[in-house]
Amino acid sequence: MSETYNRGTVEDAGRWTEFSAGMWAWIFHKFTGWVLVGYLFTHIAVLSTATASDPAVYNQTLSGLEGLLIVRILEVGLLAVAVFHILNGVRLLLVDLGIGLESQDKSFYASLVLTGAIAVASVPTFLAGAF
Amino acid sequence: MAEHYTSFDRSGRRWLLQRLTAVFLIGTLAFHFFLLHFVNHAAEIEFAGTQARMGEVGYFSMMVLFLVAATFHGVNGVYNALVNMGIEGTQKRVVGGVLTLAGVLLIVQGVRVAVAMAGVI
Repeated sequence: MSETYNRGTVEDAGRWTEFSAGMWAWIFHKFTGWVLVGYLFTHIAVLSTATASDPAVYNQTLSGLEGLLIVRILEVGLLAVAVFHILNGVRLLLVDLGIGLESQDKSFYASLVLTGAIAVASVPTFLAGAF
Repeated sequence: MAEHYTSFDRSGRRWLLQRLTAVFLIGTLAFHFFLLHFVNHAAEIEFAGTQARMGEVGYFSMMVLFLVAATFHGVNGVYNALVNMGIEGTQKRVVGGVLTLAGVLLIVQGVRVAVAMAGVI
């Protein structure tokens, strides 16, 4: 049995100024998880309608979506969400294995910085041909 | 290790499966994003290319495993988040049932899409 301690209610947003790095990591991991699972269902739904009939529908659906600037911007957001969830997930796996327990805050900040850097670096790729 | 907090039941199978699928998804999600946005631009993807990729047994199998792992990880993650927020009793059973059904339906539909993309049917 692992011991627990009273960490308060993280859902109480009014306490955000008191949140530690670990609590922010918890919130961001939950938020990105909800976004990713929502996207998974949406992704399969869109692909289902696109592959329902002939290949032309598939091509039109994809080019139609990619022709919208908002979709390109949302894709950058999706990448950022996925990258953070992966990096923070690796951090959680390491914590579960007892590795780097003393550097949990630093590894969270590193996850944030790396996510930001990768998202910014991906912008030219995602926006190519959007204008 | 009093400072080591986890909301998971460490002896549970779901706890272990959540971590095993996580390890698998780190690779497959990164690969999926990289292949379909950076190697092949999403805007330039056409059905012929998708069919060619899905026609390869290795790629097809990986995509189906990716779907199954992602669905389990996502649905189990939502369930854990809700349990962590305090649902119990009937509420917990209903949420578990609905999420299991949603996950099964997503996998079935996802496999149907994968099969259609591969041009098998």
